[in-house]
Amino acid sequence: MKWINEQTYYEILEISPEAAPKEIQKAYERAKEAFRHDSIAIYTLFSNEEIQEIQEAIEEAYRVLMNEATRKEYDQTHRERIRRTFVKEESRRIEREAEKGTALSFKEIALHLEEMEYRGKNLKEVRERLGIDLKSISEKTKVHIKILQAIEEEDLPNLPPLVYLKGFLKAYAKLLNLDPQKVIEGYLRGFHREGGEKK
Amino acid sequence: MNSSPMNHQQTLWTIGGGKGGSGKSFLAANIGICLSKLGVQVILVDADLGGANLHTLLGIPPPFPSLSDFIQKKVQNLHDVLIPSGISNLRLLTGTQDLLNSADVKSLQRRKLLRAIRGLGGDCIIVDLGGGNAASVLDLFLMSDGGILVVTPEPTSIENTYRFLKSAFYRRLRQSVSSPSVKSLIDQAMNGKNESGIRNPYELFREAKRLNLEDANRMMEETEAFRPNLILNQVQSKKDIEMGFFIRSAYQKYFGIHLHYLGYVVYDQEVGSSIRKRRPLILENERCRASQCISEIASKLLQSQMRASSME
Repeated sequence: MKWINEQTYYEILEISPEAAPKEIQKAYERAKEAFRHDSIAIYTLFSNEEIQEIQEAIEEAYRVLMNEATRKEYDQTHRERIRRTFVKEESRRIEREAEKGTALSFKEIALHLEEMEYRGKNLKEVRERLGIDLKSISEKTKVHIKILQAIEEEDLPNLPPLVYLKGFLKAYAKLLNLDPQKVIEGYLRGFHREGGEKK
Repeated sequence: MNSSPMNHQQTLWTIGGGKGGSGKSFLAANIGICLSKLGVQVILVDADLGGANLHTLLGIPPPFPSLSDFIQKKVQNLHDVLIPSGISNLRLLTGTQDLLNSADVKSLQRRKLLRAIRGLGGDCIIVDLGGGNAASVLDLFLMSDGGILVVTPEPTSIENTYRFLKSAFYRRLRQSVSSPSVKSLIDQAMNGKNESGIRNPYELFREAKRLNLEDANRMMEETEAFRPNLILNQVQSKKDIEMGFFIRSAYQKYFGIHLHYLGYVVYDQEVGSSIRKRRPLILENERCRASQCISEIASKLLQSQMRASSME
């Protein structure tokens, strides 16, 4: 148990001592967001002074670690402390990565369907996440597998006329438990934006 | 033939934390069903002191036998108070609140109760603790193999969950130390406006170290070993999802503990509709967005249980 002023800069930003600048930047942005005065996540947990102290520590850690020269110097002068915390921090980092992999990668299906564009590749991703193969979609919707492929690949020349395409998209969306209307609109909007047109 | 995927360690999960209405019972029921569909033998235990209603979420109409019948010796065998849910591999135990609610019930008796419940068999026991910070609830949370906090992304829910976790955390520390002076110090720390001026766990550790190094070391070990889980329920945006990671960071910085962010469940109108029909969501609409989130959480729980089994 260490208070913020006893933690290494790597601990403060919850990163490995080998983190690349890109990771430092990301960790900094996340930490800054988490410990804002109005952040709901820390509501009633810390006093204003404590939040201030944490914010300053985050800024300082970021300032030092993002500059190659100051980071090098910090690493040298704090070598032993960094080494001692590294093993623990590393195992936590791996756990966090595992959480991220499962929890956040899921958002494509679970959360952002309303916001996301229903491009062919998105539909394919949802289908694959649900573990459904094209053949069974084809059997259930009676849409030829080549057309389904063309839909997913947005292969314009091989797509059927618009009126049929809408019908096929509707059947496909229903099977994936997506809102057919949104899928049709989103899919066609994607085409228009890229200058493709289906008559 | 045992077709269970478990091989074979029983795991007892408790679902609790702060506020009523955050979806603890709903998640207990639906996670239980997901696991049972994967071939895991599940026992759901309704220990909600405020309002036990897991049976309603599962569509089981009263009357049915409960643990009270066993305590009052109306039923001879504890197995006889297990209610079949109509769902394969899933059974329900209710009436535990009678035993937990009583002020006379000592921690030892709770331990005995838990042992008896574990003795019922099954691969996975999921206890719905309901809301509140009663000593009995905290004890069950701490005695389980894994405590799961359910939070919605609102200040009220977050505040109550912190309160719950703070109580559980200090209770765990108190149970681990032996010297009366450190015990008294922890009691003071639990009361935010204490005379010794301890404002946070870090200051508590610092003071404990001064009083009794052995106890302070034990407290450190307990902190390291305390790994509650978090489910964020009713999320509506990417920002809400990120809040789970922020809460984890906050716990790390405040308590020094590692919180495992199990996952999130999106806000979905299908949930309300399934509850009104008294049909579990997973059975009513397996493909809706909330169901997919719950399935993902259930499979993570199963993976962690299997990992624990393989390390045995």
